[in-house]
Amino acid sequence: MSRVITITSGKGGVGKTTSTANLGAALALQGLKVAVVDADIGLRNLDVVMGLENRIVYDLVDVVEGRCRLRQALIKDKHFPDLCLLPAAQTRDKDAVTADDMIALTNQLRAEFDYVLIDSPAGIEAGFRNAIAGADEVLIVTTPEVAAVRDADRIIGLVEAFEKGHPRLIINRLKPRMVSRGEMMSIEDVLQILAIDLIGVVPDDEQIVTSTNRGEVAVLDRSSRAGRAFAEIARRLAGEDVPITVFDDNPGLLNRIFGAFGIRARGSER
Amino acid sequence: MSFLDALFGKRERSSDIARDRLLTVLVHDRVKLTPDMMEQLKAELSAVIARYVPSVDAGAIEVTLMRGEAVDHLKADIPLRRTSQKL
Repeated sequence: MSRVITITSGKGGVGKTTSTANLGAALALQGLKVAVVDADIGLRNLDVVMGLENRIVYDLVDVVEGRCRLRQALIKDKHFPDLCLLPAAQTRDKDAVTADDMIALTNQLRAEFDYVLIDSPAGIEAGFRNAIAGADEVLIVTTPEVAAVRDADRIIGLVEAFEKGHPRLIINRLKPRMVSRGEMMSIEDVLQILAIDLIGVVPDDEQIVTSTNRGEVAVLDRSSRAGRAFAEIARRLAGEDVPITVFDDNPGLLNRIFGAFGIRARGSER
Repeated sequence: MSFLDALFGKRERSSDIARDRLLTVLVHDRVKLTPDMMEQLKAELSAVIARYVPSVDAGAIEVTLMRGEAVDHLKADIPLRRTSQKL
């Protein structure tokens, strides 16, 4: 059974595109057939994060408007033959497609791929609604910062209102040293506030910048802590019960926090 | 931490401040209670409680929103002053 998963956040810049690219690659590394879809029409970025910007001929809007077949618009990844990108249009905007268009598109993709990952734009308007229209499940990306968590909360409400099930959370750009100094909210703080299941924690990692500079995903780099975190999330996504690992800022140090798969806060009083 | 912080007691951690601010602002985001409405709610709540339990500490009522499985919970923490009782 194919799964269509939308990665969204509300807040911009928290790591949706990075997460989509890396999870797509990690799933492809497991031998699965994966399509990643850039639903950020007008501000495409998934292509450049994956280093495929020079290979775009057709895009999502071309497919929806019938100027090409889906297969012509899909771009095979450089590293993984079973990973394909459907890029967004850069010269259009979010009104170019409807929710029904997206549902039809994801149904076409289901036929060929085990996983369809949709990179949602930021915000709560049509772009977001289109991105979740065809989704079976939703992942929400946040950072442990006030504005991101606040926006994530709003998105959780919308995802549930659109009856896309219970979204799961990725906490991105965690800095364990700052957390232990009491200068950054902890995983537990964020879960207490948002109270949804956690699917993974990704540390702040300079290697994300350098790998994006090169147009390569972090999961390709064994020394990248963020890459390893994304690989673990992909395993959980595929159903494996992997305990949450918090990769320390200091390379080589690992903190394993004890908790069953799917740590959830139950609104406990303090 | 400065010398003065150490002398007069540690300042609250910024992460705790962030968490508490979020818990507060999200009550308003989710339930659409303006700060004025919230104060009104607390005042009326304490008036009702006071009819039954005179020792309610009206100014110290805390109202928070907790997200549950299927529903959110509006929770009120209502401190009661301890009075010495003659047995």
